Amino acid sequence: MADLRVNFLGLELSNPVIIGSGPLNRCGLSMKKGIAAGAGAVITETIVNEVRKNVRPRLVKKDNGLQNIRLYSDYTLEEWEKEISLIKKVKSVCIANIMGHTPSEMAYIAGHAEKFGADAVELNSAIPHGEGLEVLSAKPDIVYELVNRVVKTVDIPVMLKLSPNVSNIAALAQAAEKAGASGISAINTVRSILGIDIETGKPLLPTFGGYSGEPIRPIGLAAVATAAQAVNLEISGIGGISSWEHAVEYIMLGAKTVQLQTSVILKGYEQIEKILNGLSAWMDKKGYASIEDFRGKALSKLKSFEEIRVEPYTAVLSNPCPRPDCRLCITGCLYNAIAKSAALEVCVDQNLCSGCGLCLSVCPEGCFSLDWGE
Amino acid sequence: MANIREVAQKAGVSVATVSRVLNHPETVSERTKKHVLHHMKQMDYSPNNLARGLALNKSYSIALLIPNILNPLYPEVAKGVEDVAHTQGYNLLLCNTEEDAEKEKEYLTLLMNRRVDGCIVTSSLLSVRELNELRRETIPIVMIGRSRKAQGVHCVFTDFKEGGHIATNYLIEIGYRKIAHIKGKTNNRESEDKYQGYLQALSENDIPFDSSLVIQGDNEVEGGYLAAKRLIQNGVNPDAVFAANDLMAMGALDALKTEGIKVPEEIAIIGFDNIKMSSLVEPKLTTIGNPVYKMGLIAARLLFDTLERSEDHFVQEIYLKPKLIVRKSCGHEDRIREIFS
Repeated sequence: MADLRVNFLGLELSNPVIIGSGPLNRCGLSMKKGIAAGAGAVITETIVNEVRKNVRPRLVKKDNGLQNIRLYSDYTLEEWEKEISLIKKVKSVCIANIMGHTPSEMAYIAGHAEKFGADAVELNSAIPHGEGLEVLSAKPDIVYELVNRVVKTVDIPVMLKLSPNVSNIAALAQAAEKAGASGISAINTVRSILGIDIETGKPLLPTFGGYSGEPIRPIGLAAVATAAQAVNLEISGIGGISSWEHAVEYIMLGAKTVQLQTSVILKGYEQIEKILNGLSAWMDKKGYASIEDFRGKALSKLKSFEEIRVEPYTAVLSNPCPRPDCRLCITGCLYNAIAKSAALEVCVDQNLCSGCGLCLSVCPEGCFSLDWGE
Repeated sequence: MANIREVAQKAGVSVATVSRVLNHPETVSERTKKHVLHHMKQMDYSPNNLARGLALNKSYSIALLIPNILNPLYPEVAKGVEDVAHTQGYNLLLCNTEEDAEKEKEYLTLLMNRRVDGCIVTSSLLSVRELNELRRETIPIVMIGRSRKAQGVHCVFTDFKEGGHIATNYLIEIGYRKIAHIKGKTNNRESEDKYQGYLQALSENDIPFDSSLVIQGDNEVEGGYLAAKRLIQNGVNPDAVFAANDLMAMGALDALKTEGIKVPEEIAIIGFDNIKMSSLVEPKLTTIGNPVYKMGLIAARLLFDTLERSEDHFVQEIYLKPKLIVRKSCGHEDRIREIFS
């Protein structure tokens, strides 16, 4: 039986699945639900000095993505003392997500979170709406000051949550490392406008918001891979994780833990157990005894563009197409290499095919593969 | 109404235990606490706070000194302080110092004699020497306004020079060159800091300083009104005005309206503070956010860290950043900037 335990930021977690910061962790009781559902740790909703009233509405879903314009926790700093003590009464790892607008303010809240009993702090340096902090915290020197001040103030581990809305995420991760952080979490939500009601001409929510859910997973994976190559810090992967396979993807790119929020909001706490069971069964099947056995496996296979050699691949039909009515591969072939023969069989013209590979993922039956050919 | 002895008798515990439930509940078991509280409720007992205060040498009151009760900025500080004090079971005394150092000192002495447990002083005019004299007294003081860490007191502050710089720089960035400044009250450090920020932004952008563009105000609506009138009468024709607070900006707005000068079409105005009213005037005022409610919250927290948790081993200095709030009084084209800067 696979061992799912991980040591993250020096804390012993029963497994790598964390319920990340967000409304699911708005109080001690709700965090208890996450732990009871099997999560390895919980991260509080963002704790701040000045609580602001929630706007209504503040959440909207479209396709598989969610836009939110909720700023942070509506519990005061004083109230969090009770909420954190409540979750710490049960066996659990609780990380406090905190936000301040300057290094001294961030450090002040971090000091309180430590006193309240949090096992670590996660610094929320930018959210995509309302605070006007994104540009500021996209600067490595500012990030250094924020992290360093907190590291000097508290004895518990400090993790920086990175925003994807920056041009150089590696520089920010390096600034955090230099400042003494123990970990990085990536990514925060993506700046978004989910859509426009074209009848009224109004945006679905009245301001820019944070986008989360499955569509942001590729952005999260890229951020984790970038951070993993830039620094030696422990990484928590966030963004669009709704199955055990997604968790494996993040771990294979170097993450030690993964954080869920949107998928649990939309599909319930059962998600945690499903992911843990799936992960455990897959590890058994693959013969992996622990998370470390496959962590970073994909990272070592990630190349720079310059390193990729041009090989003479072309598409071939590894199985005959069973659906003569489906023309997806033909429509989607940029080079007109795929056509139907006189006998109405799908075939690839090896002279026209340039090996782009799109047909492999377009075909619903998985009929294509790439081959060096003759 | 029952007294403490009767409650103790009924609950079958000592008077000392009832007292501990009230004053040091952490030293009593959860079961005993529940039991005693149950009897207190049944007997309609409430502790005599005067007697309790004497016994504990505490008055459960703190004081907040503000410089001008008529400026809507300061009630926001008071709200921040009160929001925290209330949760800690303390009363708040409010004192208006009229931006007068003597009155400030008188109040502090009076408050200490009245045995308040701690003081929060906004925009203090006290000198280092006066502050040191007061610190010989035992009650903790927290300062709001500018950094006083060097003087060994907790402080929460914003940088008024940086705020003045942000305001002036914004006007320059969006194309204004002839920028007037309505200064805050004389002999006031905050006014001077904002003015220095204004001068710095001009110099960084190679705009020559013109003394005829700087008019003395008084931090009140009337001063802003008169200053704007004077600018018009002097014929200096600025294309933008940076007023050192929102009240003066509103006064200036009124003067310009009276003269038939359109804001922002003919002249831009930026204020300072972001008081609630600044988003209600027409045109809505572009201003610099001075996070005073939050400063009130943090100042009270710093005070209670000392009072309730004896965390006075090192002096805390919390800095909050002034922030540009773009509305309509400097032109509306750049509205979105608020989100991205």
